[in-house]
Parts: sequence; C-alpha cells; structure tokens
Amino acid sequence: MNDPLPLAAGSPSWDWLIQDDRVHRTIYTDPSIFAREMNNIFAATWVYLLHESELPEPGDFRRAWMGTRELIVTRDEARALHVFANRCSHRGATVCREPGGKASSFTCPYHGWKYDNRGQLFGIPGKTAYGAEFKARDMHLARPAQVASYKGFVFATLNPDAPPLETHLGAAAPFLDEWIEHQGGADNIMVGGAQRFHLECNWKMVFDNAGDGYHVPFSHQSLLQMTNARYGGGDMSYFADADRSRMKLYALGNGHTVIDQRPDMYGNSAWEQQRPQPGREVFEAHVRATVADADAKRVLESAVGAGMNLNIFPNLLLIGNQIQVVQPLNAGGTTMHWHATRRRDADDALNTMRMRTQEDFPIMGEMDDAGNFEECHRGLVNFPEDEWIDISRHHETGQDVADEEGRIVGPVTSELHLRAYYAQWKRLMAAEPTLRASKSRIAR
Amino acid sequence: MKNDTATAASAAPRYQPASNYVDDAFYGWLNEVSLDLDAVTTQRTGRPDAALAAEIERLLTVESRLLDQHAYAEWLDLYTPECAYWIPATRPAGDPRAQITLEFHDRRRLLDRVARLGTGLAYSQLPASRTARQLSGLEIWASPGRSDEWRVRCNFLMAESRAGKRRVLGGWYGFVVRRVGDALRLAFKQVNLLDPDEPQGNNSFFL
Ligand code: FES
Ligand SMILES: [Fe+2]
Repeated sequence: MNDPLPLAAGSPSWDWLIQDDRVHRTIYTDPSIFAREMNNIFAATWVYLLHESELPEPGDFRRAWMGTRELIVTRDEARALHVFANRCSHRGATVCREPGGKASSFTCPYHGWKYDNRGQLFGIPGKTAYGAEFKARDMHLARPAQVASYKGFVFATLNPDAPPLETHLGAAAPFLDEWIEHQGGADNIMVGGAQRFHLECNWKMVFDNAGDGYHVPFSHQSLLQMTNARYGGGDMSYFADADRSRMKLYALGNGHTVIDQRPDMYGNSAWEQQRPQPGREVFEAHVRATVADADAKRVLESAVGAGMNLNIFPNLLLIGNQIQVVQPLNAGGTTMHWHATRRRDADDALNTMRMRTQEDFPIMGEMDDAGNFEECHRGLVNFPEDEWIDISRHHETGQDVADEEGRIVGPVTSELHLRAYYAQWKRLMAAEPTLRASKSRIAR
Repeated sequence: MKNDTATAASAAPRYQPASNYVDDAFYGWLNEVSLDLDAVTTQRTGRPDAALAAEIERLLTVESRLLDQHAYAEWLDLYTPECAYWIPATRPAGDPRAQITLEFHDRRRLLDRVARLGTGLAYSQLPASRTARQLSGLEIWASPGRSDEWRVRCNFLMAESRAGKRRVLGGWYGFVVRRVGDALRLAFKQVNLLDPDEPQGNNSFFL
C-alpha cells in the first residue's frame, strides 16, 4: 500500500495530522505512528491494567498489557501488588504462559531460571558458569517506573515523570467515584469473568465510539426497533433525539470524557426501561419479597448499568456495569476485554441478574459497532487519497461550553469527545518522554 | 421516553412471553446437566435404542440445517417453550449465576435476537454469515430418572464465510432432548467453543 507520510521526512507535523475539526487517516493506518503510540501513549501515560478484585488472594497472578507490552501482575504473600514484564532476563522467553492463576514463583520454560512472585530472580541452573560481571548486573524481571491503584483500579506507566495518578485522573475521578458508588463502594466490586473480542481495526476506532452519542439511533436501530416492536420502547430510546435529551457529554481534561445518560436513564426508573433479561420476573418478585419498599428501586437498579460511559484515556472504558479494556495489537488490530462485575454485598439473585444484564448489549449492539469499526478501518486503508476524518460535529455551533469546574460540556452527539482526546493524544505524541523499567532488587 | 412507568408492574404484559422459569432451580439443573455433559466417563447408562437414536440424530441434523439456512423461526420451533441457549465464556463452563457467559438466553431473549436480525438493520449480519456445520461423535444417554428425556453430546466444526472472510469455529455441543407429545424437542443447547476465553470474532449469528 502506498502511504505517503509526513513522518518519514523526520519532522512530524502533529499540528497538521491533528487539526481542531479533522484528523489525518494515517494516524489510524501507519505502523510507524502505531509504534510511537506504544511508547508515547501506552507507556508514557497511565495505562489501566486490572482491577484489584481480580487478584483476591496472596499468590494470585494475571497477565495484563500496556499496549503491546505484556506484564504479569501478582499479589504477594504480604498482599502487596507487583507488576513486571513477561520477559525472561536470560534470553527473552516469556516466563508465564498462562492468562492467570496462582503461583508462588515463575520458572522460565526455556532454561529454567526461577523468579519469585515479585519478579525477583532466585534460581539459575548451573550457576557456577557465570562470573562476577554477570553477578553485578540487575537481572530481576523489569518493572514499570510507576504503579498506582485508584480505589482498586490498578494503573502503570513507564514514565517516571508522569504526574501522580490522581492528578492524571483529574476531573474524571469524581465520575469514577460515582460509578464506584453505583456498585456499592470500592471494596464491593468483584470482577466476574470477561468477554473478549478481536477487532480488525485500529484501537482508536474503539475509543472514538466510546464517547459517540451520535451513532446510537442509526447504528443500533435494529436493537431499538426490536425493543420498540416487542416491548413498546425502553432502553436507549432516549438517544433517538439525543441533542434534545437531558444527557450531557463532558470533556474532563487529559483526554478523559464521559457521556452521562443518568438524567434520562434514571429519570423515571432505569429498571422499568431495561429490556427484559432472562430471569427478570423471578428476580423482581424476589426483590419485592425480600427488600423493603423504600430500597427496592435501588436494588433493582443495581442490576442495571451505571448510566454513564466514562472514558479514561487511553484504555479504560466504564460502560454500564462493565469494565472495558482496550488492548492495541497493531495498527489494524485490537482486542477488547469486557470485564463483568458483581457486588460483594449482593445476594445471588442480584448478581445473577447483573450477569444477564451485562450480556445483553455485547450480542445485541456491540457486534454492530464492531462491524462498523472494522469497516471504518477498511475505508481508511482502501482509498489513501481521501485523507481526512471529520470530527467537527458541533464544533461551529457554539454549544460546547466551559463550565465553572473547567470542564467542557456539550450536546451528547457532539464530537467534542474526539476533539478532546485528540488534543491529549497530540500533546503526548509530540513529547519526548523518558521511559524507564527497573531490573534492580526490590528493597525488602 | 416513557413517562408513565411509575405504576408499571413487574410482570406487565409488556414482556412477552413471560419468563418465569429462569429461577435458581433452573440454573441448578443447567449446572448439573453441564457437568454431566462434560464428565470424563467411558460408560453412559441409558443408551437409546436404534430407532430413538436415529430420531434424535435427525433432530440435530435439522437443527443444524435450519441455522445454516437462517430459518430462525423454524429453528426456534424445535425448542421447548422453557428452553435455554448457553455459550460459556470459559472451558470448562462455569456457573452462569456467578460468571459472565458469551451468551445466555431464555426463549424471550432468543426471540429478541431473532427479531433483531429480522429487522434487516443488524449491520453485523449485513451481509449474513454463511455457515456449514459438521457434527460428529454423537453420544446419547437418558437423563437420570427420566424416560422422556435424553442428553446428547457431539463435536462440531463450523465453516463460516462472511463478506469475503472465511473462518472455522469448532468445539462441542451439548443438548437436552425431550419428548413432548409425539415430537422430540430441544430443551437446552450448550455451545462449548474451543477458545471462548480468547478474543472472539463476529459471532452475531447463532452458533
Ligand atoms: S530464556 Fe529464560 S531461562 Fe533462558
Ligand atoms: Fe454503539
């Protein structure tokens, strides 16, 4: 494919690639831009890894990713979390070939070097063959410069100069707090399995859509028509005339955004608007029988999504009650992980209902989105002379306005989401960040 | 927007067909069947006679063919009113009460899915997936303590072609087959993909 690129000349013009109201196709298709993203974005800023509830016990581990960098996250016997590269210090083999489980140590399957579950090297077969110079080197598994948890959400970055995680989350943190509150608090959240999807498109196709209130009545009309025909309307029908709805889109700084559906979704009763999921009648009867009237609405609504699409740049999307993680694979390939959540304080009936609710959209709606993302990517690749992606919706209507808290608030169909995250993308891509991993001994 | 929901009752006729059967006992039964289908055993008790085995095999053949033909209304007619369709997200299958599945449907949500595909606006199935299923290694045995119900396990390979892309999906199916009047009906289908825990492609048709 011929893909003329300004970057090849050596001085990328980020201002040309990312303009206020349009972006260049090559940022989706060009492998050299993707490679730079893996450093400048998926290593140089905070990247979401996993939720602490996925490692409930000492000795638990799980693979996780910062873009294309594969990591192992563990909980040690003192319950501390550790994050290190899945890359043997000897000749590079992955030391862990399982997606997750329990392990007090990791033995590299190639020559048998042994690492404890903090990634510390403690065993080398035939050690006498090594000399003083070798022994002076740091040979523990590589650790990112910074790891931090915000109320159970674990992030890492290779950038020692990245601001503290809370600063990075900034105005997104209060929304994340509200999402957590909908789940009954930070300690109440338990991840209960995942659905995973492979998409043949650039990762930003997914991120673009995460704050897109414009596509709903068109892309999801099969779902809306079905819901209307079978149940007389409900879920998501308020997107039909979205700009006149009470929903709002907020740009929260640092590339984070949120679509707040709650004014409409929870206007009357989110439970009543919900499409009937398997077991709905049994569950509702159970709640009415076991919960005081005053609490019934709250319990029923806990089976329904949190009513926001909170997008933490670059890879964490909270949608409904799910924790979605975007994993870029290459310029034209992405994996999406949809982690389902349960509540520790809930009875089995509520958690069962939550599973059925969280399965609904992936098969009823997300499949159509995924098809469109892939076709967007194909379109961008197949006609290079048509260079631009338009992101100007509501750019010239004066409806995106700054509020007292420094956020920008716009109509829910505004492409403010794209403009806001691309401003952050451009800042990060133009920077020359320091990336650092440490192989030194962990202080005990 | 609906503004009149304040008085809407739980089992309002708005939700048809009513789905009162998906309760804890039903889930318990599904889990028991799921374990039995995947049991490591060389001896299944209660094997059907040749005529019944042939009848069950014909039913599964028709089930596969109707899916290949996208004849979803006819396909659903092969199922009992209180049926379940389950694609676990793990191998082996976990408890669907505690774990997300790739898909778990009662009859009502199967009807939702059929209706959605029927709008002609479900873009993930425009164009539709063409499929051809091959079933093999059929095993049939009676449900414990019942003379009108059998459990079935078989492998499947499904060739799929959609929009110029070809794939092969594989794994095994589990079924519960029940005698209803003169006919045999399917009460349960479980689709155990080879790799449900790995990222999936566009499986927006029925597996
Ligand atoms: S590569 Fe790991 S021990 Fe040799
Ligand atoms: Fe969508």
